Amino acid sequence: MFPGIDGFHWTAAHVIFLSLFFAVVMTIVATVVSAVRRTARDFQTKRAIDFCWKADFAELPEPERRCRHELAGRVMSRTCDNAFDCRQCSKYSQFAVLPARGTVHSLGLDYPEDRFYHRGHTWVKLEEGGILTVGLDALAEHVIGQADSIKMPAIGSDIEINETAWRMKKNGNEIRVRAPIEGKVVGIGGPTDGWYLKISPRLSAQNPALLRHLLRGPEVYGWVSRELERLQVELREPNTPPSLADGGVLMPGLMDAVPEADWDSVLAETFLEV
Amino acid sequence: MSARYGMVIDLDRCTGCGSCMMACASENNVPPLPQATARTGLTPMLVRKASNGMDGAARREVFIPIMCMHCEHDTPCVKVCPQQAVEVDKATGIVMQMPQRCLGCRYCMTACPYHARYFNWWDPAWPAGMEKSLNPGVAARMRGVVEKCNMCHARLHSAKEKAAAAGKREIDPADYVPACVEACPTGAIRFGNLADPNDAASQESRSPEAFRLLARIGTEPKVYYKSKEAWVRALAESKSGSGSETKRSEVQHG
Amino acid sequence: MASATLTDSRWIARGEERTSLSRFLLWLAPWTVLLALGVYAAGLCLYFGLNQTNLDNRFAFGLWIFLDLGVIALGAGAFFTGFLVYILKRAELRPILNTAVVVGFICYSGAVGILGIDVGQPLRFWFTFWHPNTHSMLTEVTFCITCYLLVLCLEYIPILLRNRQLRKVPSMLVFEHQLHKLVPVLAGVGTLLSFFHQGSLGGLYGVLRGRPFAFRQGLFIWPSTFFLFILSAIATGPSFLMLVTATVEKVTGRRLVPQEVFRRLAFISGVLLAIYVAAKSIDTLIWLNVTSPSVGFAPWQYYMYKPFGTPILFVEIVLLGLVPAFLLTYRKTAMRRGWLLTAAGLACAGVLLNRFVLTVQTLAVPTLPFDEFLQYAPSWQEVASFGGVTAYGVIVYSLSYRYLPMFASPKGENTHVSGD
Repeated sequence: MFPGIDGFHWTAAHVIFLSLFFAVVMTIVATVVSAVRRTARDFQTKRAIDFCWKADFAELPEPERRCRHELAGRVMSRTCDNAFDCRQCSKYSQFAVLPARGTVHSLGLDYPEDRFYHRGHTWVKLEEGGILTVGLDALAEHVIGQADSIKMPAIGSDIEINETAWRMKKNGNEIRVRAPIEGKVVGIGGPTDGWYLKISPRLSAQNPALLRHLLRGPEVYGWVSRELERLQVELREPNTPPSLADGGVLMPGLMDAVPEADWDSVLAETFLEV
Repeated sequence: MSARYGMVIDLDRCTGCGSCMMACASENNVPPLPQATARTGLTPMLVRKASNGMDGAARREVFIPIMCMHCEHDTPCVKVCPQQAVEVDKATGIVMQMPQRCLGCRYCMTACPYHARYFNWWDPAWPAGMEKSLNPGVAARMRGVVEKCNMCHARLHSAKEKAAAAGKREIDPADYVPACVEACPTGAIRFGNLADPNDAASQESRSPEAFRLLARIGTEPKVYYKSKEAWVRALAESKSGSGSETKRSEVQHG
Repeated sequence: MASATLTDSRWIARGEERTSLSRFLLWLAPWTVLLALGVYAAGLCLYFGLNQTNLDNRFAFGLWIFLDLGVIALGAGAFFTGFLVYILKRAELRPILNTAVVVGFICYSGAVGILGIDVGQPLRFWFTFWHPNTHSMLTEVTFCITCYLLVLCLEYIPILLRNRQLRKVPSMLVFEHQLHKLVPVLAGVGTLLSFFHQGSLGGLYGVLRGRPFAFRQGLFIWPSTFFLFILSAIATGPSFLMLVTATVEKVTGRRLVPQEVFRRLAFISGVLLAIYVAAKSIDTLIWLNVTSPSVGFAPWQYYMYKPFGTPILFVEIVLLGLVPAFLLTYRKTAMRRGWLLTAAGLACAGVLLNRFVLTVQTLAVPTLPFDEFLQYAPSWQEVASFGGVTAYGVIVYSLSYRYLPMFASPKGENTHVSGD
């Protein structure tokens, strides 16, 4: 053990002391190794994505964690406790049967009724043959305008729900767009026909859980109008009251129009990244 | 048979000439260090001065050579060194400092009640030409390590070699005499094997005039002092231990 | 970066208000200068050797060792808070936990850094691990402090990884989560290590048979100072945390920790301090009447040198021990923030005085009957190196405060409940 030490002699004290010392060192090392291995395992089993999403969700301010049923006016007030994954929510069916009381009014933005919406401002459209199309919603497009660069995933790659589906760069800000659905990427739309992904979902098209977690109908209006309010509050000049309280029309290319705003924050809350 | 090398220093004979210090420095390749102060120099052997604290005609002074006392029991420096750079040689009773293992933490220096340990504050350096006088049998110590008296270990080594060459197991006591002992012009230092009852030093150490510094601390030092003067013998203990008067606080530094 | 003005807002946790980057840099500037001076002084010591200090053969330990012992005692808040939160499940102290870890990390890394300059041959540090003398208290100190610094690094990592930009990297976020789950293990190990090295630091002096001023009897291999150091460290660690937090609150003009946490810390600190004062008094009496006379040293002799007279005993035990212990536990004073912080300051000063007495006075008091009381004043290099460590501490703490979630806000609290 101690080569090259002339005259070193083992004593009982050495044995006790060194075994204690190495037990402590091994505990520390084992702790680190265990943390690393668990991290690696989380990534292999895709639990890491789910975990990151939940951690990001927990970082969201309270007003942004409202339940979809509150947005639709089915319940008075309810904070989501399932990280927006209604498939895991035990209360979902209980509330879903209640009549929606939300007021639907023009937001000045195009949110087609035949699509489903994810809180990260993406839409999902059911295509023929069970393929889903995923794209950025109107609010996101208005905010970003023309992106400087876009990095789409490769065709054939697997995407998990709430994982970063694609990345965009705009004025030095990196925007990570969350995938609203899990599955295999089977097609990508280019710059000419709008950026979108075609995804072959992991669940079959007949499975009611396929799109359950996504917003639709009156929920969309409740959600988008709150998002617009938030944008107004965040983009106003410091020390001024929110303007456009009546819900004026959002101008396209907001990021270019108001470059001085704290876009890192705004985008983070818009795309639910931290 | 294992030896217990020790010394008996007759303080009545010590004139404070400093020959022992010179001999020690020269034997052990102690660099001259002109930049050193009284408290930063390398003096494995150091002659210090003490007085009875009186003034005028009643004043008495004594020179006390201080070196490593080679404590035998619970040796303070051996116990504290974190890396076994100090060991008591079982065959000789000499407390050995191994500078090559020393971290330079100086914990041993704070542990030593006799302040007989020295730190190499500077790189060792000798004036041009002086390197010719260096002792080839002793390694110079590098900066940042602690050193002290090791009873001229190189001399013990050559005595052993001589004995081995002659086919003997035991060394001839005449072959192993530390430099300070050899150099003392008044023969005040007697060196010998305290474990040998017939040894002159051993016998002297048991005389009623012999005493050890701070013996009550209980470290069993192997360097004895000897004096006919009662007040000198009283120096064995701390000021308070030696008597009621505490006036001796104005003693000087050698 | 798009905007013209330099900003670090994207590194600051969302929803947290911090002063502007320029003001922050202005605050760091003088500390950076002090740190640079300290690094220069330390460089001189490493390059030219310890002759740059005013240490000498008689005062082989000086300012550095005193401060190492002091800083490590004050840093005990880290292990003790971890112990209270994770082992004794005192969840109410959670808001102070991160700050405790960072303060502990700063104290220990600073002390280890200074030790690295203080030894004559720093490159031989591994010798202690390779051929240890297990009878030496310093061996235990070296082993435990090294391990504990490792533990503190590991406890610091989860805080570090919760930075807004770092947590964007998924692997870091997950690793933080997994490591955080294992932190109780680290807290346990840290408690064991701290317990032993705090004690061994006391034992360092208590075992010095050759220094009757410091020598103490004790249990088995441990002199009484072993236990007294543990007690005094865990008594003043929480006080020091209160002082640090209160200072940060003052500088930032923000309430960071509920007053309830302060009161809880104060009570723990006060009770432990009272126990310590009692133990220290008994120990002092035994030492004065039994230990010291038995080796031939009349105790009052230690105190004949100005300014190290008997008043120092009174100041250490009563003024900086009993008084703060009372102030910290007495309801009426414990409710008042001013009194609380005064008491915490006194307690910390008390532990520093104790370490000073044991390290510096021990060496100044003569042992040989013909010796004199010694004096020593640190050189500028010694003072500057320590100033550098202080600056390092302030800088690390400021950076941590600005960019890391040091004080768990109510929102942050939720994060952890759902994150765990």
